[in-house]
Amino acid sequence: MSRGKREYQHPLLIRLTHWVNFIALAIMITSGLRIYNASPLWNFSMPGFLTLGGWLAGARMWHFLGMWLFAVNGAAWVLYNVLSRHGRQTTLFRGKDVSGVKPMIQYYLRIRREHPPAGKYNPLQKLAYTSIPLAGLGSALTGMSLYWPVQFAPLASLFGGYDTARIWHFIFTAGFVFFFAGHILMVIIAGWSNFVSIFTGWKQATD
Amino acid sequence: MADDTESRSTGEGETGGRLTRRSVLKLSPLVLLAGCDMTPEGRTESFLRSFQKFNDWFQSKVFDSSRLSTEYSASELTPEDGFRVNGKDDDPPDIDPATWTLAVEGLVARPGTYTLAHIAALPKRVMNTRHVCVEGWSMVPRWGGTPLGEFLRMAGADPGAKYLSVESADDYTTSYDMPSALHPQTLLCYEAYDKPLTLPHGAPVRIVMPTKLGYKSAKWIRKLIVTNENTGGYWEDQGYDWFAGI
Repeated sequence: MSRGKREYQHPLLIRLTHWVNFIALAIMITSGLRIYNASPLWNFSMPGFLTLGGWLAGARMWHFLGMWLFAVNGAAWVLYNVLSRHGRQTTLFRGKDVSGVKPMIQYYLRIRREHPPAGKYNPLQKLAYTSIPLAGLGSALTGMSLYWPVQFAPLASLFGGYDTARIWHFIFTAGFVFFFAGHILMVIIAGWSNFVSIFTGWKQATD
Repeated sequence: MADDTESRSTGEGETGGRLTRRSVLKLSPLVLLAGCDMTPEGRTESFLRSFQKFNDWFQSKVFDSSRLSTEYSASELTPEDGFRVNGKDDDPPDIDPATWTLAVEGLVARPGTYTLAHIAALPKRVMNTRHVCVEGWSMVPRWGGTPLGEFLRMAGADPGAKYLSVESADDYTTSYDMPSALHPQTLLCYEAYDKPLTLPHGAPVRIVMPTKLGYKSAKWIRKLIVTNENTGGYWEDQGYDWFAGI
C-alpha cells in the first residue's frame, strides 16, 4: 500500500443521503418501537430507552415527521443511482453475481483462504446493498398501508390487510436492524480509512 | 368516559398488569417528565406540532370523500366477545337512555334537542367496517345507525360550514372536518351486532367514523355544534393528530 495514494470512494450525494438516512432511520425505528408498545404484536414490549417520543402521541409526531425525511431522502438516493449509473455499476446485485455468493460466504466463514476476485463491492455486499433499498420500499409501502388503510385499501390488501401489514412493517424494520449490525461489523473490519471515506469521500488506496 | 382510544398513555395499562387505566393516566405527567423518555417539550414540541398540522393538511388532501371503507362479510366479523371496549376512563358515564336527547347548535336552521326516535326515523345503514385504534389494534364490528349526513340535513346544518364539534356525556370532545362528517359511512350509531348499543360502547348514540382513527368515534354523544371554528378535542389537544384520517 503506497502512502498518500487515495481513491474516490463515495460521491457527495451518496455521503449526504447516507447520513440523512441514518438520522431518518434512527427516528423511525425508535419512535416506531414506542408505537409498537401501545399495542404489542407479540408478548413483549420494547425497553423505554430504545424508544422516542415518551408516549404514543409524541412517538406518532416523530414517526410522521421522520417518514417524510426517509421517503424524500430515499427517493433522492434511488434517482441519483438511476441517473448517474453509480449504483448500477457498483452496488446493484445482478445475475452474474449469483455464482460469487457461495465463495464469499466460504471466505467469511474461513473455509476459503483467499478473497474471491471482486470489483469495488463483492457479491455479498451487492446483495446487501440491493436488498436494503427494497426493504426501504417495503417499509414505506407497509407504512402507507397502516397510515391510510382506507385511502390505500388495495395496497393494504396486497400486504394481507391491516393487521398483517403491521407484521410486515415490523419485519422490514427487523431487516434494517440486522443490516445495521452487519454493516457496523464490516465497517470495523474494513478499518479507519474506509470509515473516513463516508465523510470525506476519499480513502487510502489498498494497492 | 370517552372514546375508543389510547387510554394507556404510557402504553402499559393492560400489558403492565397492575396499573388500572385511570392510575396510568394520573401517573402519565410524571412518566412524561422522566427525561429519558424524551417526551417532546418546548421548541421540539412546538416544531413537532407545527409539522403535525402540515400532516393534517396533507391528510385532508388525500382524503377522498367518495371512497368507502371496506365492508366485510358476516364471516369476517370480529366475534361479539371480541368487541373491545376502550376509552379514557374505566367506567361509562351516568346516562339514562330513556331521557337522553341530542342537542344541536351553531350554524343550523333547526337547532334544538333531538331524541333517539328522531334519529331512528331517518334512513338506516348497517355496515361491517374496520375500527382502527391509534394504538395499532383493529376489529371489525357490525355497526348500525343513521348516516350523520342525513341527520345534519334534517337539522338544516349549513352545508358551507367547515367543522362539526361533538361533546359527550363524559366530557369527551372531538371535532371533524365537514367532508368527513358527511361521509356516507359516518354514522350516528345506535346499534352494534343488530342489537341496541350497550352502555360501555357508547349507548344510546355514538359516532362511528370508519374513515378515521378510533378516537374520532366519540361515544355517549350529547351535543353537536356546526361551526367554522376548529375546536380540537380531548386527545387532539394532548398531541394526537386532529385529522386522523386512515
